[in-house]
Amino acid sequence: MNATRVLRQAAQHAERKPSIRFLGKRTIPVSVDHTPQPHPASPTHSLPESFKSSHTTFSSYRDHAQQFGPLRKTITAASAGIGGKAGSDLGPVAAPKGYYFDRNELPSRFHRAPLTAAEIEAIETGGAASFA
Amino acid sequence: MLSQRLIARTVARPAFVPSSLPRIVSSTSRWSRTYASAAEEKDLVIVGGGVAGYVAAIKAGQEGMKVTCIEKRGTLGGTCLNVGCIPSKSLLNNSHLYHQILHDSKHRGIEVGDVKLNLKQLMKAKEQSVSGLTKGVEFLFKKNGVEYIKGAGAFQDEHTIKVQLNDGGETSVRGKNILIATGSEATPFPGLEIDEQRVITSTGAIALEQVPKKLVVIGGGIIGLEMASVWSRLGSQVTVVEFLDQIGGPGMDLEIAKSAQKILKKQGINFKTGTKVLSGDKSGELVKLEVDSAKGGKAETLEADVVLVAIGRRPYTGGLGLENIGLELDERGRVIIDSEYRTKIPHIRCVGDVTFGPMLAHKAEEEAVAVVEYIKKGYGHVNYGCIPSVMYTFPEVAWVGQSEQDLKKAGIKYRVGTFPFSANSRAKTNLDTDGMVKMIADPETDRLLGVHIIGPNAGEMIAEGTLALEYGASSEDIARTCHAHPTLAEAFKEAAMATYAKAIHF
Repeated sequence: MNATRVLRQAAQHAERKPSIRFLGKRTIPVSVDHTPQPHPASPTHSLPESFKSSHTTFSSYRDHAQQFGPLRKTITAASAGIGGKAGSDLGPVAAPKGYYFDRNELPSRFHRAPLTAAEIEAIETGGAASFA
Repeated sequence: MLSQRLIARTVARPAFVPSSLPRIVSSTSRWSRTYASAAEEKDLVIVGGGVAGYVAAIKAGQEGMKVTCIEKRGTLGGTCLNVGCIPSKSLLNNSHLYHQILHDSKHRGIEVGDVKLNLKQLMKAKEQSVSGLTKGVEFLFKKNGVEYIKGAGAFQDEHTIKVQLNDGGETSVRGKNILIATGSEATPFPGLEIDEQRVITSTGAIALEQVPKKLVVIGGGIIGLEMASVWSRLGSQVTVVEFLDQIGGPGMDLEIAKSAQKILKKQGINFKTGTKVLSGDKSGELVKLEVDSAKGGKAETLEADVVLVAIGRRPYTGGLGLENIGLELDERGRVIIDSEYRTKIPHIRCVGDVTFGPMLAHKAEEEAVAVVEYIKKGYGHVNYGCIPSVMYTFPEVAWVGQSEQDLKKAGIKYRVGTFPFSANSRAKTNLDTDGMVKMIADPETDRLLGVHIIGPNAGEMIAEGTLALEYGASSEDIARTCHAHPTLAEAFKEAAMATYAKAIHF
């Protein structure tokens, strides 16, 4: 009786365990780090600077977030964007002497209205084309 | 004077950079009435309907996303289905049958009468296969609710793709996510203009109207050797010129590459390895190529009716308007992405030939599924160490994982086991005994590191090696798995036995 048990145990130990084992139902990890990482097939194994986010945490992002200017008034650097600096610090709005601005450089609502072919012809003919 | 003025304007401009001001409404929308339904935003807009693009579109449709796929070719499937893998396999299969009937039937006990080649019908059979498959993909689009736009897409801004429609006119599509899947094109040979008649790429090589007397193939990679096989079987005198000392490209195991070269040479293909093409001239009746030893030596002139340029492929981003969104390409023209296929603009992703990794249709398919999963679930999977490669010559060559030269270079110890098809019963009965299975495993853990096969049906058999490698199997795991008798797959099992112990039949 004992001898049989010993033999059975020995046989169990001798049984080969395959490397491939069933791991159970596949599950998606609860937390996945989405920070940009180099692509596995990238020849350089690195990412350009442009991929790196300056905000690694939410609080850092919040510090730099803007809504009609920075939310945190401690961010005053020029890099903070609109409202980061007082308007007076930006210098005069008027163009220096010898420099000209075109109104088409302003936001689109200030652009000249496009001319139609009929208008151009009317101007070129001194208005005669409108009555032809 | 005018130029001075323009410079002064440019200098002064930063004070009025419109992009730094909050954008409220455009001048047109301020004064015109628009409808909410006019610009419905899609969950995913895919530029390119090749293997990467169409698979991503179908997967996105299955995941319940609103998806649009833009393709300018007029048919789906990209290079693979239209002018690559699929038509070339049709020609390879049928030219092999023709060659076998001509040269390999008598000793099998089959005597046939007058055998004639009908090249027109051969091409028609190829076109039937292609059109059947491309229409099949269109059906799958309908089945999975994918909107298909035939036209050339270009970035207008980070969320909008402007499409020049193939039927005339234009439209634009907005997407929360955008996927670039524009694929690749054949790399031209400097100084030799491609006309797809006498100087051809793989696209021209699957559509020749007559069998060229002399064909020179520049490049002894997979595409070059497959096309060399087709036209050699149909009667061309073929010479393959390869810069490297081995054929098959850098991924093929050296021992297998040597074996493949020997077998293909026996079939009548001439090889000039370690040879560079200096220049080409197609002004005369024949195309002339000046070639020289890659290490320097005596130059010689090769003449051919047709020259096939098969020196590789390059990413295709022409007309995509990447400059409008400031996306960067690397030094080889590939779109730079991170591990989740995101470009530096995170909602714009990229997969397939146009970005990193081997330019293989099945790699693109894997990426297409993974990228949709990343968008939808935040988690995807592609194992770049486990992507099989297949060369569909006769015999086929297939491999997955690392080659002996890779491991030597990396200083990794390994153990090799081989089994020849000449000792396999099914190969013997088929009278196709050229080739072998070669397995490489870790000497300590016995974990599989690579599988290399040259032989009949290698392209099918490599699937077993890929599965084993993906699962992290040992060679003993494969050897102890029962394989049916008599099958070619027994050679695979026996090679595994030879790796961890000894093969029975060799």
